[in-house]
This record gives sequence, C-alpha cells and structure tokens, in this order.
Amino acid sequence: MTEDTMDITDYLAQGGRLTNPANVPTRYRAELMKIMATFVDSELAGAAGFADVINAGPGIKERIAAARIVLEKTDNADKVLKLMGEFGANTERYANHHPWADRLPRDTAPGTARNAHDMRLSVLNYPLDGWTDAVVMNLLMGLAVDVQLAEFLTSSYQPFAEAIREVAPRETRHTELAAEGLEKLIAEGGTEAVNRSVAYWWPRVSESFGAGVSPRGAALKAMGLRSRSNADLRDAWLQRAGAALDKLGLDRPPTAG
Amino acid sequence: MARFHPLSVTDVTKTIRDAVVVTLKPVNGGDFDFIQGQYLTFRQDFDGTEVRRSYSICAGKDDGVLQVGIKKVDGGAFSTWANESLAPGMVIEAMEPMGSFHTPLDPQKPKHYLGFAGGSGITPVLSIMKTVLAREPGSRFTLVYANRGVNTIMFREDLEDLKNRYMGRLTVIHILESDAQDIDLFTGRVDAEKCKALFEHWIDIDSVDTSFICGPEPMMLGIAAALRDHGLTDDQIKFELFASAQPGRLKRRAASTSAAAAAKSTEATITLDGAARSFTMDKDQSVLDAALENALDAPYACKAGVCSTCKCRVLEGEVEMLANHALEDYEVAQGYVLSCQSYPVTDRVVVDYDQ
Repeated sequence: MTEDTMDITDYLAQGGRLTNPANVPTRYRAELMKIMATFVDSELAGAAGFADVINAGPGIKERIAAARIVLEKTDNADKVLKLMGEFGANTERYANHHPWADRLPRDTAPGTARNAHDMRLSVLNYPLDGWTDAVVMNLLMGLAVDVQLAEFLTSSYQPFAEAIREVAPRETRHTELAAEGLEKLIAEGGTEAVNRSVAYWWPRVSESFGAGVSPRGAALKAMGLRSRSNADLRDAWLQRAGAALDKLGLDRPPTAG
Repeated sequence: MARFHPLSVTDVTKTIRDAVVVTLKPVNGGDFDFIQGQYLTFRQDFDGTEVRRSYSICAGKDDGVLQVGIKKVDGGAFSTWANESLAPGMVIEAMEPMGSFHTPLDPQKPKHYLGFAGGSGITPVLSIMKTVLAREPGSRFTLVYANRGVNTIMFREDLEDLKNRYMGRLTVIHILESDAQDIDLFTGRVDAEKCKALFEHWIDIDSVDTSFICGPEPMMLGIAAALRDHGLTDDQIKFELFASAQPGRLKRRAASTSAAAAAKSTEATITLDGAARSFTMDKDQSVLDAALENALDAPYACKAGVCSTCKCRVLEGEVEMLANHALEDYEVAQGYVLSCQSYPVTDRVVVDYDQ
C-alpha cells in the first residue's frame, strides 16, 4: 500500500496537495515561487508606501490605523517569505535587497509598467498622494486583494494555503478600516477629492489583475495553483468595488475593456 | 534563510524490519522546539553528491525528545544508510523543523480528530496524536492506519500503549491490504469507497472537527474526496504528502538539447566582487550552485528564477536558462542570465556577477 505512488501531474490535476519543498516538481516550484514572491513583494511594497502616509493621518485614530496596516502587511509578507525561505530564498536579505518604497511618477498612465525588478502587482508602482488618496487606494486595492486571496485559499501547496488562511482576515480588516475612513472623509465634505482619487485608482487596480486570458493560466490551473482566470477575478472585483462605491454614494468610473 | 545545524544521534531503534526510530539532540544552536506534525530536512553526502531528505518527527510535544521515523525505501540512499549505518554517537545535519501539518491546540475545547496514515505516513500523525491526547484532555482521536500486513505496522506497540493510557479517547482501526482480518471491512486498500463504508458503521464523521491525512498520493486523493463528500471543508482537512515517495530533486538535469557538447563538465571562470576564480563544474549543475560550491559568495534569493537577485552576465560560452520570470528581453539579449536557472552548454563559460 505504501509504495503506491502516482504521477505528480495526475495527482495535482485531481486536486492533490503538495506539502513541502521536497515533493514539488521543478516547474511547479518556479510557478509557486513566482506567486509567493508576487504576494511578498506586494505586501512589502504596499507597507512601504503606506509607511509614508502615517504622518499624513488627520487624527490619532487614523494614524493608528495606518501604522497597523503597515505592521500587519509587513507581517503578512514575513509569513509567506518564511515559506520561500524553505525553498532556499535568502529571507534575511530579501527585505533589504530592494527599494520597496520606489514608485513611478504619479502621472504614469495606467498599465502594467514596472519600475524595478520585483514581483509587486502593477498597481503598487503608483505613488500615493496624501491621506485621502491613500484611503481610497486602500479600499479599492483591499477589495482586489480579498478576491485574489480567496483564490489562494485553495492553492495546491498546502503551507501557502494555510498561510493565506491566517493573512486573509487581516487584509479584510484593512479594507474595512478603509471603508470606515472614507465614510468619515465624506461626512466631512471631502466627496470631491475622494471621487478624484477613485477615478485615478480604479483603472490602475483593474489593470493589476493582468491579461484576461493568460497563456500560463491553464498550466497554473492544472497544477492547482490557480482556479479562476484573471478576467473572472477582475469581474468579481468590479462587482464588489462597484457595490462599495454605491454604498458610499460615490461615482463609479467607467470600466475600460 | 534555512540553515543546517548539527544534531547528535543518541539512539537508533528498529520498529519493524525495515524502519528505524532515530533520536536526536541539537549539538550547538538551532531552534528544534518543534510543533507536532512537523518534519526535519537532513542532508548527507554520498560519494560527493549531497542528498537532502525530509522525515517527519514522530515524537509528541511532551515526550521530551526529538525523534524521527525513517523507513527504508528501495534504492533510497539516505533511508538505506539511516537503517544500516546510522548509530548513536554520530552527528548528522538538519534544518530547523518545518511544516504546517497541525492545528492550534486548545485544552479547553474538546475535539474529535480523524487521522489517516499509510505505512510510514504514521510518523507525523503519531506526533499529533500523542500531543493532542496529552494537551487537550477533552479531545478524542480516531486513527485509520493502512498497511500491507501485520508485520509492516510501524509503532504497533506504541499505539497499544497509547490506547491503554487514553482509554476511550483513542480508537485505532488497522486496515491491512494482504492479511485477512475478522471483519472484511478492515481488509483491502483505504480508498474513497472504504472511507464511505467506515463512515457508515464505524466512524461518526459528523462529529469530526479536523482530519489529518499522511500517505501516498492515491490514498490522499481518495480519502480527501470521501471527506469532502461527507461535508468536511478544505480548512478541516490537513495533508502531508510524505516526501520519501518522491524522487530526489538534487541533480536537476538540464534538458540536453545540444548533442554537440559531449563533455559532461565545463571549465568555468566566475568573477565576483572584482575577483575571478576558475574551476571545473558539472553541466548538470547550475552556475549559481557551482559558484556557491566553490566558496564564491554569489548573490541569490529565490533560486527559482523569480527575484533576479542572482543575475549575472555571460561573457564567453553559452548557458541554457531553464526559467526566467524576472529578466526583460533586452537584458537577455545583452547576455544577462539568472544564474540559479542557468546550466552550461559549452565546454567553457565565463561569467561575471559584477556587470
């Protein structure tokens, strides 16, 4: 009984789980590392960008919320970076080997441009412009993160799925903090500035889902590392983000392609 | 970053004919305070080739020892060596415990755990079982343990002892593939159908909070399918695919596309921090690994062609890059490669990390 094994490709295609670096095939490992690096780099870049915003918080509650987001996003990165470390990544060097706070110029057109060789989601290459802008970005991106993390909860790499299970509720809380922050800004008469920021971030978050049909999509699905297409995820986000804006009485920007 | 630490072997005991339990003690450093269900990754040199193998810890948190179970696999260099040559007093190297095959302990909350183990897959399940029975006084554990026959059951006596110690809280169901038992249901393989039958008459599946499965691939799939059919969700099912079932990944072979380069080795010259060093390297080895092996402090992070930390430039000769998730086309055109993914194709290569 115990000697019975099966081809790892068939195993994964049938929903099998891999559980440690010793039993993952090379191609799987590369794709998994890319997914984990994207997560880690996005959390580190997100935290680095938000760190600068703490001082822009209009009150102590806001500053605490911003500081908490920076702390927890960095900790989220650490959780997954530990797993990368089990594959041989230099976790000590990782946080410092790269300028995570670097951003493109604010007026860079929405797209998938990157300013450095890291795996952060494209939206995290754009700079925040003050407190209101940061809160708006945090809401729209937070809803996108919720959608993307749901995808990873069923990842065929069990330790990654477990890490995401710990991370996801915190990210959801960050999104809730953003919604609370926006309610307050709107109540104080900041609707116009909020709408301006929504118009700026909406297409950029939308782009961060990547191409609708990715050539790697089918391969990732077969490996159990992804289950839905980029287009499906974007549609799920559009629905949730649209509903969130409606609830706050904000303009819903037009959606391109 | 994962590092290896020396561990001294304090005891080696046979549990069945072809499996040993190895007791270890950290020699200097390393945090070996494990979580139940975790594993250790060992490395050992065999004729100049480093072999890494992971084995689950079989001790419970309160046993006061660090123990792994190692079953001999046909043709397995490490497991054969561990079974035949490993002796008290020897020192072996392992990384700190890893793995997420566990759930948080809560002494206040009585739970029903359902474990499935196939053969040597018992090791992490045993660790979990011992720990939850000791630390969660209200919890119960049901173990379904699949083996070929009676004489291949690892830890048979330990399981009997545990049953006696935790009277009424531990149920062990042995399923034997080739030895007939009094009850037909307990003979055969543990697959989806067998699980279904067990859930009908022997296991109250509705009361199960968490299930732990460790065994070979087909067994894991069958059990997971049955558990899902009976209403368990993904976060209630924990898997550990035992590593020994998989072939070692040590020698990553470059797909040999070129028959022109017949030699198996390459003369390499690598420049780092202004100093150049020349040596002979194997074509089956990545440029990065060769540099590290020759005491060059080459930069790297992910070793998966992801992070671009290991970027270097090929000045002479040719390498094949297996994966590239970081470099842009123009950089590749200029001769930049990810050294962790690059294997020499020509009999001579010159590489520079400084450019």
